[in-house]
This record gives sequence, structure tokens and C-alpha cells, in this order.
Amino acid sequence: MRRALSAIVRTIRGSRRLAIGLVVLVLLVLVALCSPLIAKAVGGGQDPIELAAYEKWLVPSPQHLLGTDQFGRDVFAMVVKALAVSLQIGAIAGVISTVVGVIVAFVAGYKGGWIDGVLSTFTGILLVIPTFPLLIALSAYAKNVSLFQVGVMISIFSWPFAAKTIRSQVLSLRSRPYVDLARVSKSRDLEIIVTELLPNLLPFIGVGFASSALGAIFGLVGLEIIGLGPGGVIDLGQIIFNAIGTGALTLGAWPMFVVPIVLLTLLFAALNMVNIGLEEVYNPRLRGVAGE
Amino acid sequence: MKSELELRGVQQRFHARGVEGGYITAVDDVSFTLAAEPPQVVSLVGQSGSGKSTIARNVLGLQKPTEGSVLYGGKDIFKLSRAEYDEYRRDVQPVFQDPYAIFNPFYRVDRVLWKAVKKFGLTSSRSKGLELIEESLRAVRLEPENVLGRYPHQLSGGQRQRIMLARVHMLRPSFIIADEPVSMLDAQVRKHFLDILLDFQREHGMTTLFITHDLSTVYYLGGEVMVITKGTIVERGPVSTVMHEPSHPYTQLLLDSIPQPDPDNRWSTRINVDAVEELDDSTPADAPKPEAPIL
Repeated sequence: MRRALSAIVRTIRGSRRLAIGLVVLVLLVLVALCSPLIAKAVGGGQDPIELAAYEKWLVPSPQHLLGTDQFGRDVFAMVVKALAVSLQIGAIAGVISTVVGVIVAFVAGYKGGWIDGVLSTFTGILLVIPTFPLLIALSAYAKNVSLFQVGVMISIFSWPFAAKTIRSQVLSLRSRPYVDLARVSKSRDLEIIVTELLPNLLPFIGVGFASSALGAIFGLVGLEIIGLGPGGVIDLGQIIFNAIGTGALTLGAWPMFVVPIVLLTLLFAALNMVNIGLEEVYNPRLRGVAGE
Repeated sequence: MKSELELRGVQQRFHARGVEGGYITAVDDVSFTLAAEPPQVVSLVGQSGSGKSTIARNVLGLQKPTEGSVLYGGKDIFKLSRAEYDEYRRDVQPVFQDPYAIFNPFYRVDRVLWKAVKKFGLTSSRSKGLELIEESLRAVRLEPENVLGRYPHQLSGGQRQRIMLARVHMLRPSFIIADEPVSMLDAQVRKHFLDILLDFQREHGMTTLFITHDLSTVYYLGGEVMVITKGTIVERGPVSTVMHEPSHPYTQLLLDSIPQPDPDNRWSTRINVDAVEELDDSTPADAPKPEAPIL
């Protein structure tokens, strides 16, 4: 356990990008986790994002840091809650697509032969399907989709990316001599996959998770902006949608538009920095290319 | 009574695109027997691509031959019962070529040794296991405190390759399948390594199938030698006979390919590999395939 921790610390120290990305990400997650507390602090007993909790279109003030929206909801509390929702969808889709991608990649890459042929063809087919139009069609067709359902829908199209990259790594790792040595030491296939291959693929799995999560968050934002998001939840995209729909900018309620975009940009930058940082640490040849 | 290891008419084909027939034959109708008694060193010599490593993989059960069979104690190694399989695994162990790639970079080098202890049930307790590991490391002239607890990249190639020998020392197999174990070591470490192999033969009765492209190491090890080219064994016999009176043109070519350590004798004569290969193809009568003797 201590060894795993020290390995993680070493990895983070290896790249400034990775460190910065992780710090920003952790801060965002902390803010999202504190959203009930923030709501309580802002509302002072009552729910600050209830309809008509306050007067509408209040400008930013000490009571309402980011003002209120067209329904008299506190924008600050709303943005924090929406951040939590956006991170949630990222986590749901990230976990599902990483798990599916890893399983498919390991089965295809390790078993090879016709199994690999079938799985790779299927993965390839899903890869070339344009995701977003299909997502629009699905959301428009299914009324009242929940957040989890949207997460599942997005992951259906994002696991092939993870599967494709991890499979190629499995292909290169499975013919390593240490795998042969494990086999002559009476290790079984599953044991070899878990103990010999998986640890060496952790960075690739991490990258797969980060990009799937990112794809999902932005997929949901895209859906919300055109008004097809899941019902009953507010995510960052929906606040932007409202800001556009009500002309918030012309009414002086600029935080409603700007703050969600800043948060999304931060999230995007942080996840990408983690992505690039991980690749940098585990693929030292990239460092030369990046000119560091 | 120790079991014998026998290859009977082993043929290994691989799918390949753009080749006539859609496959290449890496190993073609190879038969030989390795006897555990008396312990010996048998060398398998051939150039790159001659199929020698494929034979090693066949013998180790890592690759199922397309034709023919590998027999351990008279039984096909791919059809062994559980108990027989355990015995075969314990009895036939490899030393691989690349001392860098043989260790999983994620773990410390101890893991390879502990895995052998645990998987083969060598000791009853952890302290006895550690004792065994340290004893085996000393047997290959490594100081346990210098290697245990380290990561592979912190050790030299010679140290890593000797850890593999320590693993073999712990398992005491009847057969060591050494696939080019010294090709990535420098000359001094190489001799060191070969001496340990010879020690194992003398002291622990281990038979080694030594696969190499380097005739000087074959000469140093002595024993029997088999010459393989294009997947077929073309000549076999005691090292001294094969080296001094080669009967097959390919063996002659291999011997001619060694530069002479004589400044007056410049290495100017060009050897035409193609000519020898054509000769090999067109006049098979010239290259009588010897019967499979028990080496």
C-alpha cells in the first residue's frame, strides 16, 4: 500500500502539468461536494434554488454573489449544484466506459484470433458512428430521461476509444518475456492479466477515463444547450441554456453566462492536463517533442 | 527414473501475408531426444530466423506445434493430467534471452523468486523461503543484500540474468531451456554465466538445451551440438567432431563466418550465403538428414 502511494507521489512529481491538473480537479470536486453546505449558507435555512426564492434578476451583491436568475433563484448556489451534476455525469460515463473498454480490450488483445477480430470490428463500427446527432435523436425520443440514462447513452459511444488504445497496448505487452515467464511459473490467464499486464496499463486506463469523462460532460452540455437534457436536474449546460434563452447578458446578469463557462473551461483544462501529464510521465519520448 | 524430453516430427507454421501458401514454416520436421541421465549440455546452433527460438517455445509449451508433438516422459505435453503438468512445469524451466524484458518493470526483482517458491510449493514457511532464495542467489554468485528489494532497472544485465539462474537453481529442473541467454551479456559476464550452467550440470544433474548463434560459446560448453537452418536440423554430433569435420555445407559456412584472429589473414574472402542456400535446396542428397539419435 505504501509502495503504491509512493509510486503515485513520484508520478505526480514527474510532471508539473499533472500536478496542476490534479490540484484544479480536486478543488472543483471539493466545491461540488460542498454544494449542500454552500446552499445552506446562501439560503440561510431555505432552499436558495427554489422557484421564486428571491426577487428575479438581482444583480450581484454580498447576499447574492452572482445575482439571481429569471425565476429568482440564487445563481451562485445553482452553479455549485450544477458543477456537482456535471462531475457526476462525467464520473458515471467515465467509469462505465472505462470498465467496458478495459474488459473488451483485454479479452480482444490477450485472446487474439477470431475473438479479437469480432470485438475489434464491433469497436471500429461504434467508433465511426457520429455520436452527437444520435444522442440528440435518442434524447428527443426518450422523454424524461434521467441523468444516469444519459450517462449510459454517452458511455455506449465513448468506450470504444478506451478499448482501442488499451487493446493495442495489451497486444504489445502480452508477448513480453515476463508474460512467458509467468506462464511457465504456472500462472493462469486471468492472473497474468491482472498482475502482470494491468499495472503496466494504469496510465492508459487513466487517460481513457479522463477522456471519456470529459466527453460525457461536454456531451451533456451540448444536449442542454439545445434543450434536450435530462429532466429534474440542473447542470452547467442548462444554466448556459437559460442565460442564452432569456437574454441574461443584456439584463446585466452576466455571471449566469460567464461563470459556468469558466468552470467548464477549468474542468476541461484540468482533465486535459492530467491526460497529457500522465502520457508525459509514462511516455518519456513525448517530453522531447514538447521541448522541455 | 527421470523423464525424457522428446520432440517428434515437430513442425511449426505461422500465418504470413504475401508468402506463397499464406504461411511460413519456422520449424520443419524436427526430432530429437534430451535425456536427463546422464546430465549434459546440448547446443542448438543456427542463424537468426532459423527456428531455434520457436523450438524453445515449443519445448516450454508456450506454443503448440502445428504438426508433431513434444513428449515429456512419453506423453504429449499439451495433453497432460494436472499432476503430470505440474511435474513437467517444475522439470522444464527456461532462461530467456533478454535480461531486461524478463522482469515486469512494475515489481521488485524478489517477486520472480517468491513466485517460484509459492507456485511450486518449495517451502513450508516464509522464513524458509527467504533462506532458500538467499542460498540460491549465493549459488549464482550474487550477494542477496545487493539484489533483493531492488527494481529491475537498478540491476545490471548480468545480475538480472543470474537472478534467472537463481530461480532455476531453486526449482532444480531436469531440463533448462536456455534461449540465447548470453547474447546480451558482455564477454566476461558471459563466461561467468556459462560456468554457472556447467556447475548446475555437474552438481545438480541438470540437462541444458543451449540455444545460440555463437559458435565460440558452443565450443566452450562442449557436449553435443545440433545445427539448424531454415527450420531443419542438418547436422548433429559431438562438438569436437562437428566443429572440426563439418559434413553439411551450412555448418561449413557457419565455421567460415568466424573471423580469424590473424592480422595477416584479412577477412577478404566473401562468403556467398545464397549459393549455399541454393545448394541446400537443389541437392538435398548432399545433405543427408541424420536419424534422430538419443543425445
